Amino acid sequence: MLLYVARCAAQLAVALVGIVTVAFFLMRAIPGDPAIYMLGDYATTESLATLRARLGLDLPVWQQYGMFLASAARGDLGASVVTGQSALAEIWSAVPPSAELAVAGMSIAIAFGVPLGVIAAVRQGTYVDVAVMALALGGISFPVFWLGLVAILVLSHDLGLFPALGATSEPGLWPAIHHLALPALVLGLSVAAYIARLTRSAMLEVLGQDHIRVARAMGVPERRIVWRLALRNASIPILAVIGVTFAWSLGNAILVEAVFSRPGLGSTILKAILARDYQLVQAGVLVLAAAVVLLNTLLDLVYGAIDPRLRKA
Amino acid sequence: MSATVDDIEIREEAAQRRRAAIRRYAKHPGFVIGACGILVLLVVALLAPWLAPHSPTRTDLMNTLAPPSASHWLGTDQFGRDVLSRLIYGAQVSLQVGFFVVLISLSAGTILGAVAGYAGGWVERALVAAIDILLAFPSFLLALALVAARGNTLDSIIVAVAIAYTPRVAAVMRSVVLTIRPRPFIEASRAIGLSPWKIILRHIIPNALPPVIVVATVSAATAILAEAGLSFLGLGVQPPTPTWGNVIAEGQTSITTNPLISLSAGLCIAFTVIVLNLLGDGLRDTLDPQMRRNTGKLL
Repeated sequence: MLLYVARCAAQLAVALVGIVTVAFFLMRAIPGDPAIYMLGDYATTESLATLRARLGLDLPVWQQYGMFLASAARGDLGASVVTGQSALAEIWSAVPPSAELAVAGMSIAIAFGVPLGVIAAVRQGTYVDVAVMALALGGISFPVFWLGLVAILVLSHDLGLFPALGATSEPGLWPAIHHLALPALVLGLSVAAYIARLTRSAMLEVLGQDHIRVARAMGVPERRIVWRLALRNASIPILAVIGVTFAWSLGNAILVEAVFSRPGLGSTILKAILARDYQLVQAGVLVLAAAVVLLNTLLDLVYGAIDPRLRKA
Repeated sequence: MSATVDDIEIREEAAQRRRAAIRRYAKHPGFVIGACGILVLLVVALLAPWLAPHSPTRTDLMNTLAPPSASHWLGTDQFGRDVLSRLIYGAQVSLQVGFFVVLISLSAGTILGAVAGYAGGWVERALVAAIDILLAFPSFLLALALVAARGNTLDSIIVAVAIAYTPRVAAVMRSVVLTIRPRPFIEASRAIGLSPWKIILRHIIPNALPPVIVVATVSAATAILAEAGLSFLGLGVQPPTPTWGNVIAEGQTSITTNPLISLSAGLCIAFTVIVLNLLGDGLRDTLDPQMRRNTGKLL
C-alpha cells in the first residue's frame, strides 16, 4: 500500500507540473502586451521597458517558462496586473465561497444521483426506470444558468422561499445557508442528473455479472444483493463518475455564480478575463485544475483501499 | 461482364442486412425522435430567412417588451426586436457550433487517440499523460480562457470549444483502439507488411468509429451548451447577432415582467440537447450494445 501511495504522489507531482505548463503557454497565447495594459496607452517607451524587464517579459519564452515553473514551485504565481496584489492570495481569498458551493452542490448531487441511478438500474425497463432517465435527461439538457434563472423566478420571486442573491454579508450560519441553498440546489441537481445516468449503467453492468446470479440462486434477499453486493462492486466506477463530474461541476459553478451574483473563483476569473488580467486568470485556472488533480489523486487512493488488485496494477 | 449467381447472392444478403439495420433504427423510439428533432432544427436553421416573421436585429423602440401578439408570437425584447425571429436565427449559431466543434474535435481526437492506442510504448505514455493533464482542466473553463485569448468571433469560439473537447474524444478513441489492437485482422495487416499509418487509417479508425460517433453526437450537445454558457456570460458571439445564450442573458433583466424571453430561449437549447442525446443513446443501443462500457464513463 505504501508503494501505491508513493506512486500516486509521484503521479500527482507530474500532473501538477503538467497543468502549470499548460496554463503558462495557454496564457501566453493571449494577444496584447500586458505592460501596455498596466501602464495605459500613454506610457513612455522607457517605463514600458522597465516594467517588461521587471515582469521578465523581455526574456525568451523558455527562460520565462523556467522562471515561472521555479516560482510556482515556491507557491508564487505572480502579481495581479490590475491590483498589484499576489495573484495566488487574491485567488485564494475567492476559494472559500466556491468550496462551500462545490461541497454543498456535490453533496446534493451524490445524495440524489446515486440512489436514483441504482433504482433505475434495478427496475430496468419499467416505468420507474423510464421516469428517472427522462428526469436525468432533462437535468443534463437544460443549461444550468437557465435552471438558475427559473429557480430565482419561481422559488425566489414568486414563492419568496429563498433570496435571489447567492451570498450575503449578514453574519451567522443561517443567513449563509439560506443564501447558499438555491445555488447549491441548482448546481447539485444538474450534476445529479449526470451521476444518475452513469450510476445506472455501472450498476447494470455489475447486476449482470455471475456472482450476482449466484447470490440470487442461493436465495440472498434482493435488497441485500442490490445495496450490499452490487453497489459495493459498482463503487469504483461510481467514484470514477464523481471524479469526472467534479471537473464538470466546476465549469458549471462559474455559470451558477454568475446567475446568483455569488462571489467565488468563477466570478473572480470572469472579472480577470474581462480586465485582461492574465496573471490572475492563470492563477485561477491553475488552482481549479489543481483541485481536480488533487481530487483524482484522493480517489485513486480510495480505489486502492477498496480494491487491493489495483495497488499492483 | 455479367454477374454470377454468387455476386447476386452477396448483393441480396447485403441489401437484407441493410433493411434489417433500418428496421432496428426505426424500432428505437429515442433514435426516431432524436433524428426527427435534428431534422426539424436543420430545416429551421436553413430556412430562417423565410421562416422568421421579422428581422432578428431590427429594433422598434416604440414597441419594447411587448407581450405575445398575432404579429409577435413570443413578444418583443427590450429593444423591440421580435423574440421568435431571434430564436429562429439563433438556431444557426447553435447548430454551426455543434457541427464544427464535432468535426474538429472528432478529427483531431480520433487521430490522437488512435495513434496513442496503436503505437503503445513511450508515444502512448506521452500522449496519455498529455490527454490526462488536459482533462484536469474543466472544459468549460478551458473554453472560457481560450475565448478570452482569441476573441469572441464565431470561428474562435468554435476552435476554443473544440480544443476543450478534443482530449475527451481522444481518451474514448484510445480505449476503443486498445480493444481492437489485439484482434487477428490487425495482426494480419502487420504480417502482410502494411505501414502503421495505413493500418491506423484503413483498419483501426473504421472499426473504432461506431463508439466514437456516439461520443460525437453527445459532444455536439455539450458544445452547444458550452456556447450558450459563453454567450450568457457575454463572452460568446456578440449581440446584436442572436444566439440562444445571449437571448437568455438579455431577457434576464426583464425576467420578472417578461419571463417568456429567457424561458423560450432556454427551451430551445434544452430541445436541441435532448434530441442530440436521444440520438446518441439510440445510436449506442443500435450500433453495438457492448460499447456502453467503452464510452459510458466519459459521456
